[in-house]
Amino acid sequence: MSSAQIEIQLIASLVAIACAIPGTFLVLRKMALISDAISHSILPGLVLGFFITQDLSSPWLIVMAALSGVVTVILVEYIQKTNLVKEDTAIGLVFPTMFSIGVILIAKNANDVHLDIDVVLLGELAFTPFDRMMVGDVDLGPKSLWVIGIILSSTIGLLIAFFKELKISTFDKGLATTLGFSPAIIHYGLMSVASVTTVGAFDAVGAILVVALMIAPAATAYLLTTDLKKMLGLAMIFGVFSAIVGYWLAHYLDASISGSMTTILGLLFLLVYLIAPGKGLIAVLYRNKQQRIEVSLLTFLLHLNNHSEIEERHINHLNEHINWRKVRAKFVVDLALKNNMVTIDEDIISLTEKGRIFTEKAINYIISNDPTEIEAIKEDFFLFRG
Amino acid sequence: MKNPNQKLAVAVDDLTVAYNYKPVLWDIDLAIPEGVLMAIVGPNGAGKSTLIKAILGILDPIAGSVQIYGKPYDKQRKLVAYVPQKGSVDWDFPTTAVDVVTMGTYGSLGWIKRPGRKEKKAALEALEKVGMLAFKDRQISQLSGGQQQRVFLARALVQDASIYFMDEPFQGVDATTEIAIINILKELRKKGKTVIVVHHDLQTVPEYFDWVTFLNVKKIATGPVKDIFNDDNLTKTYGINYKVSVQK
Ligand SMILES: Nc1ncnc2c1ncn2[C@@H]1O[C@H](COP(=O)(O)OP(=O)(O)O)[C@@H](O)[C@H]1O
Ligand SMILES: [Mg+2]
Repeated sequence: MSSAQIEIQLIASLVAIACAIPGTFLVLRKMALISDAISHSILPGLVLGFFITQDLSSPWLIVMAALSGVVTVILVEYIQKTNLVKEDTAIGLVFPTMFSIGVILIAKNANDVHLDIDVVLLGELAFTPFDRMMVGDVDLGPKSLWVIGIILSSTIGLLIAFFKELKISTFDKGLATTLGFSPAIIHYGLMSVASVTTVGAFDAVGAILVVALMIAPAATAYLLTTDLKKMLGLAMIFGVFSAIVGYWLAHYLDASISGSMTTILGLLFLLVYLIAPGKGLIAVLYRNKQQRIEVSLLTFLLHLNNHSEIEERHINHLNEHINWRKVRAKFVVDLALKNNMVTIDEDIISLTEKGRIFTEKAINYIISNDPTEIEAIKEDFFLFRG
Repeated sequence: MKNPNQKLAVAVDDLTVAYNYKPVLWDIDLAIPEGVLMAIVGPNGAGKSTLIKAILGILDPIAGSVQIYGKPYDKQRKLVAYVPQKGSVDWDFPTTAVDVVTMGTYGSLGWIKRPGRKEKKAALEALEKVGMLAFKDRQISQLSGGQQQRVFLARALVQDASIYFMDEPFQGVDATTEIAIINILKELRKKGKTVIVVHHDLQTVPEYFDWVTFLNVKKIATGPVKDIFNDDNLTKTYGINYKVSVQK
C-alpha cells in the first residue's frame, strides 16, 4: 500500500466514524431525511463564505456552510409548524431551493473558481492526499485529515459529555423537558454537529456519501442491538468497514470510490436486514412459522386432553376432527412424539405425563394471560420460546 | 371545602392553553392541596393531558401561571415526577427497562454528570417495588402494556419527588397491574406525597381517590370526592344526562 492509499482509507474511516455519531441519533429521531437536506443546502453557505473571504481554504467556509445547514433545519421546522404540509414535504421544499441558490450563485459569480457541482455531490476522495497541510516546509499530512480529525474529536467530546442528554431527549422529550434538559438546545446542538460534520466530510467524500455514511450504518446497527451504546459502536464499525472495503472495491474495479463505498453500505444493510437475529426478515419468517407449528401442536394436545374416548384418539380420526391436511397432522404428531408428549399404541394416541403437564400449564397461561406465568414455563417448554 | 391550614402543592391561576392559537383549555383555576390522591376526569379531548403538560412546562400557556409549592415550576423541578400517556415514547428505542428507570435519576444529576452505582441501585429498587425486577434487561417493546406502565411508574418513583403526575396509568393494563399501581399510589399518599392522575374509569373514582377535578375545556369542579363526585358534576362534564351508576 502506498502512503496515499493509507491516507485515503484513514480519511474515509474518520469520516465514517464522524458521520455515524450524529447519524445514529438522526435515525433514532426518525430524521434521516434531514441529513439529506443539510448535505445539499450547505452549498449557498460555502459560496457566501467564499465571497466574504475570497479564500477557498478559509475555516470561515466551514462555519458559513454549517450555519446554512442549521438554517435549513430551522426553515423546515418553521414550514412544518404551519401545519400546512408534512415534515417530508417541508424538507423537499427547502433543500432543493437552498441547493439551487448555491448553484446560481456559483454560475453568476464564481465561474472562475474551482467549485464544481460534480465534486460537491460525489467528492474526490482520490485527490485528498494531494492537498497537504504545510507549516513552513514541514508536511503535516493531508488537510482533509486535519479537518475531519478535528471535527471527529469535538464530536466524540460532545458525545461523551452529553450522551445522557441526547439519549433522554431522543427517547422521551416530555421527560427531558420536565427534568430541565431543554430538548430544543440538544436538538439544535445535534443539528449543528450534523451540519459541521457534513461540511467537513463532503469536501472529501461528497454529499451523497455523507448522507449514506450517516444513515446506513446506523440503520444497520439498529437491526442488531437493543443497547444505544452498542448501536453507536456498531454503526462506527459498519461505517469504517464499508469505507475500507469500498475503497478496495473501487481500486479493483477502477470505479468511483464514493460510489463503491455507498454500494457496500447498501449491501451490508441488505445482508443484515435478511439475517439479523430477532428483527431480520429470515428470523421473522422463521418465528412466524414456528408459532404456527406450536399453536397446531397445542391444539392437538388440547384435543387429546379433552377426549378420553378411544375413537377420538385414533390416528385416522385426527385429520377429520382437527380438520388438518395429512402432512400437517403427521408433522404435528411427529413433533409431539419427538418431545415425548404423546405415545402411540396400536394407532391410538395418548398423552404422556409430560404432555399432560405441559397442556395444563399452557391452558393456565392462556386463561390467566399473566405474562409472569409464561416466564416460568418458558424454560421448560419450547412452545413459548421467544 | 378546603382546610385552610393545608399547604398547596399546586396552584394554577387563570391558565389558558392553545395549540396553534386555538385554545383548548380556558381560564383554569386549580388549587391542589398537599397530600391528596386526585383524579382528573373528563371526556376525550377535554384537555386533561394538555393541563398536565402546561403545568409541567412542556407546553407554554398563552395566559396564566402555575406555582409548585409557591414557586414557578422552573425552580421546583426536583419536586415533580411525571408519567406520560403511553403513546408518547418510541417503544422501539434501543433501551432496556432498567435503563428507562435510570433516566428518572437524570434530573438530580443535572447536565453532563453520568449515572453511577447509586443511581443504578435506586433504579433496581424501584423496579423491584413495581414487581419488574425480573424483566430489567428486556428491551421495552418486548414488555406487555401493563409491564411498560409499571416501568414508567418505577421511573417516576426513582425521581423521589413530592408531586407525581400520571397520565392515564391504567390505560391498557390488566386488573392485577391496576391494583398493584393503585396500591403504590396510595402508599405515596401515605408518605405525604401529592398524586395527580388522569383517570377514565368513573366507577373506581370513589374507591381509588380522595380528591377529584372535573375538566372539560373549562374546569367544572374540584374538591373532595365525597363532596363533589355526583350526578350534577358528571352531567356538566360529560354533557349527557348522567344517572348515577356509581355507588359511593
Ligand atoms: N399537538 C396538538 N396539536 C393540536 N391540537 C392538539 C394537540 N394535542 C392535543 N390537541 C387538541 O387539544 C384538545 C385536548 O387534548 P388532550 O389534552 O390530549 O385531551 P385529553 O387528554 O383530555 O383526552 C383536543 O381537542 C386535541 O385534539
Ligand atoms: Mg390525554
